[in-house]
Amino acid sequence: MSNAEQHHEDHIGHEVSIKFNVFICAILLFLTAVTVWVSRYDFSEINIAEMGIIMALFVATVKATIVGLYFMHLRWDRAFIGFIFVGSILFVVLFIALALTDTMEYQPTIIKGDTPMVTEAMDKLKH
Amino acid sequence: MAILTTPQSTPEVTDNYLNHTKGIWSWLFTLDHKRIGMMYLICVLAAFLLGGIFAMLIRFQLLTPDGTILTQDQYNQVFTAHGAIMVFLVIIPAVPAALGNFVLPIMLGAKDVAFPKLNLFSWWLWVFGLVFFLVALAGGVDTGWTFYTPYSLDTTTGMTGIIPVLIGAFILGFSSIFTGMNFIVTIHRLRPPGMTWFKMPLFLWATYATAIIQVLATPVIGITLLLLIVERTVGIGIFDPAMGGDPVLYQHFFWFYSHPAVYIMILPAMGVVSELISVHSHRHIFGYKFIAYSSIAIAMFGFLVWGHHMFTSGQSDLMNVIFSLITFSVSIPSAVKVFNWLATLYKGSISLNAPMIYGLAFIFIFTIGGLTGLYHATLATAVHLHDSYFVVAHFHYVMMGSALIGFLGGIHHWWPKMIGKMYNENAGRISAILVFVGFNMTFFTQFMLGSKGMPRRYATYIEMPEFQIYHVISTIGATVMAVGFVLCAIYLLHSIFFGRKAPANPWGGRSLEWQCTSPPPWDNFAEQPTVGDCYDYSVLEWDPNEQGYHWRDDVKHPGE
Amino acid sequence: MFSILSTLLATPGKQANFWLPKQASTVAQSVDFTFDVITWICYFFFFSITALLVYFMIKYRRKGHDVVAQGPTHNTPIEVTWTILPMILVVIIFVVGMRGYLNLREAPEGSYEVQVTAERWQWIFNHPKYGVTEVGELTVPVGKPVRLLMASNDVLHSLWIPDFRVKMDVVPGRYTSLWFEATAVGDYNLNCAEYCGMDHSKMFATVHVVPEEKFEPAMVKLASEYEDMSVGQLPAYAINRLYNRCKSCHSLDGTIRIGPSFKGLWDRVKGGDVKFTSGEILLDLLGENTEYVQPENYIRTSLVDPQGHIVQGYLGSMPSFQGQLKEKQITAIIEMFKHLNEVTDEAGNITVNPDGTPRN
Repeated sequence: MSNAEQHHEDHIGHEVSIKFNVFICAILLFLTAVTVWVSRYDFSEINIAEMGIIMALFVATVKATIVGLYFMHLRWDRAFIGFIFVGSILFVVLFIALALTDTMEYQPTIIKGDTPMVTEAMDKLKH
Repeated sequence: MAILTTPQSTPEVTDNYLNHTKGIWSWLFTLDHKRIGMMYLICVLAAFLLGGIFAMLIRFQLLTPDGTILTQDQYNQVFTAHGAIMVFLVIIPAVPAALGNFVLPIMLGAKDVAFPKLNLFSWWLWVFGLVFFLVALAGGVDTGWTFYTPYSLDTTTGMTGIIPVLIGAFILGFSSIFTGMNFIVTIHRLRPPGMTWFKMPLFLWATYATAIIQVLATPVIGITLLLLIVERTVGIGIFDPAMGGDPVLYQHFFWFYSHPAVYIMILPAMGVVSELISVHSHRHIFGYKFIAYSSIAIAMFGFLVWGHHMFTSGQSDLMNVIFSLITFSVSIPSAVKVFNWLATLYKGSISLNAPMIYGLAFIFIFTIGGLTGLYHATLATAVHLHDSYFVVAHFHYVMMGSALIGFLGGIHHWWPKMIGKMYNENAGRISAILVFVGFNMTFFTQFMLGSKGMPRRYATYIEMPEFQIYHVISTIGATVMAVGFVLCAIYLLHSIFFGRKAPANPWGGRSLEWQCTSPPPWDNFAEQPTVGDCYDYSVLEWDPNEQGYHWRDDVKHPGE
Repeated sequence: MFSILSTLLATPGKQANFWLPKQASTVAQSVDFTFDVITWICYFFFFSITALLVYFMIKYRRKGHDVVAQGPTHNTPIEVTWTILPMILVVIIFVVGMRGYLNLREAPEGSYEVQVTAERWQWIFNHPKYGVTEVGELTVPVGKPVRLLMASNDVLHSLWIPDFRVKMDVVPGRYTSLWFEATAVGDYNLNCAEYCGMDHSKMFATVHVVPEEKFEPAMVKLASEYEDMSVGQLPAYAINRLYNRCKSCHSLDGTIRIGPSFKGLWDRVKGGDVKFTSGEILLDLLGENTEYVQPENYIRTSLVDPQGHIVQGYLGSMPSFQGQLKEKQITAIIEMFKHLNEVTDEAGNITVNPDGTPRN
């Protein structure tokens, strides 16, 4: 295939050893364990009820960043590729933000009370 | 660097991509983008025929207020099938996959796309999607192509109907994503020397913008349909209010893709029209940069406006106002394109052959389609017109009258290149005019139907018999259009066997695809060509012997 | 401009212009005004673009194969102008539309409230002030704002009254609302405008706009329509006022739809000749010390607990009417079954009016 930019690199791009990847995986597993622990810990002592969610989201962001930087190789790619990745996240944010805003706006009109199916399911859980 | 120029005298049967290898397997498992494009073309046109039959059934059912041809349930299945087939199987792949696959690499002077195997895989995914759709057709789906919840959770033809069609649409989504990925990389990496971004033909700008949307938006519909399947089978309770879910959330998910999807449909067709208008008025396109930027602008803005499909769905007033305002922003780049095309016609040398008639028809029809979009963007009128025949007319004007007509125009424009034969020009003109007249008759009356109060997706309209006259005119128009399409099929098929041999450059185009033989050889170009301004036609001259254009002897090729 | 003026000056109840139906509500005026503003902008662009198209097509026809056209390739001032001008126009359209819309959404204080339930495939209108339920018909006074508070029992529907220019989806699990103030006495179409399944095209209702002084008496009459009736008058009442709610699933002429036909039903029930999916026969459930004792009780139970015994061959999708029917209305339905031959004909048409007089 003849193309304009004859970029037939003789070497493969930046190589990452298996050991390194396993190391990153270990960090991610550790962070997963942290998340599970956070979900079970009772944060009422600190008096911030949402602390559990905040911590979990923080850990998730850290994990996603690690995956992006190392597993997806963004750390060693040119900046433009990173922009594209972040840019696509922007679209996710756009979608969730607008859809969520809409849902929150019409919360008052939701008919209150659990539906029969939900009540039945909850009853089953209790027994 | 020598360029492969048009040989002055061509031997009877040259070696080209059509006859390079023989046998059905060499086609079904080909890696050649031209053959893949042809296979897509045949498939898409076959699906169009199927969807068109359903359309005719709809139109004949609506001839009388009490519609005696189909039962309520059958009609519901027919309009669902018509919509799903036309959207997913026909109009989304049409220009990018059928024409783009063929033309794009040659326009770039390349031998193929960046990922030929992925390209073949895209086609096979389309075929699998089709198989699932056919299974679903047999089982029967009656939810409408939008699959709104909660009805789609309830509808009785589960495993045989709605689940297959959702899986089919999911698979087709991937066909679209892979094509988009392929095109983005091809355009970034395989441009020839001299072809900077702003030297690309506008068809490539349009295809590039489309590819971005395909890659960014299609995964969302994939997830949505998957969620719908999971909700139906496992009952996670995301959309079903009985389980605490939110049916309007489904609409957010669905339209986040489906609105950009309509730009997937129209942008490539606009790209085709840019080529048609320029080549057939033998004049440099007006406002190249604005047209290029507007393609990207439409792609970007298209992601911000999905809520305008939900103005009466119970979406909050705040969101309605936001979406309405942003929706108007998309109209501006589209209007700019129309003005640019008109300005290209100004002081042009316009040849009224079949491709040009389609191009001009596009401008006329898209003007109406785009202007009627204003009614839907405006909140006060949108409330009245939503889910009425006005919407049906609007989207047929842009999806069929514009995107499909662009597709047909492209087929006629590149037919000599793809098949190596010329079709009968007069038949082409007649067919184009029939389609144009029939189309307007069919759908213009539907604007009136809608604004006067006829809702859509109605099998019968017994309480509103005063609407019958509009439906009758609409059906007559549909029949005229159908005749136009049949005529088109006849002369195109006829040209394959009996058409006059086509020269390399029958229309006088300057982009690279006109500098190889018709049909192109197996590997497109022996050596990579260099390019100058692809809209500068002064370097070409007419050769009456071969009834085509070739490079003037006294003008150097770029790069020489 | 002429038609914009005519929109503002249009007589209520009359059509404002060629494109739109009659204007029969106060909001219709502002909606039609918006429609007209857009229409005239559309006419301007459409006719100028088409005129230029045709003119260029003719004037710049190809005169020879080698004529190289020498037109301009760009003109930045013009291009900027034709980008900015449409931007200004669309902002104008947006503002006009937004104001009309906010008017549509904001119901005035003290609007008369009607509760709407949409279910496949009919509209049920409840007037809480009078305790009246209308099915397939909505009676409202002219010149007074009316607010509809709506919810769906099953899937998405949408309430559209074209002559009033109002529309809003009716969603299950949630309330949505719309308001209007009718300006002309008359009958207007009300359509379902969100696809909801098989009989979506038949989900029709009529809005009866009556003079203000006639409204309250009409409501009071509807509320107590059956209360003073004797047993003999009940079948005529039931077939006209209550059968509406059964219509979408139960035919009168023998056609089997989602539920069994009512034709000949009573004879079968009386004789116990009904098989259930559980394998039981109704005959075994009638008589002393049985579940139903009398066939009338079977009908009564079917209305409030339809899932109790499902007739074989049917899916069992009948909703319960518990709490929606007064005792006398249930009696009316039973009487209707018993005397179905007297209130319908062979073809399933209703032959009497609610007050018992024959209908032609």
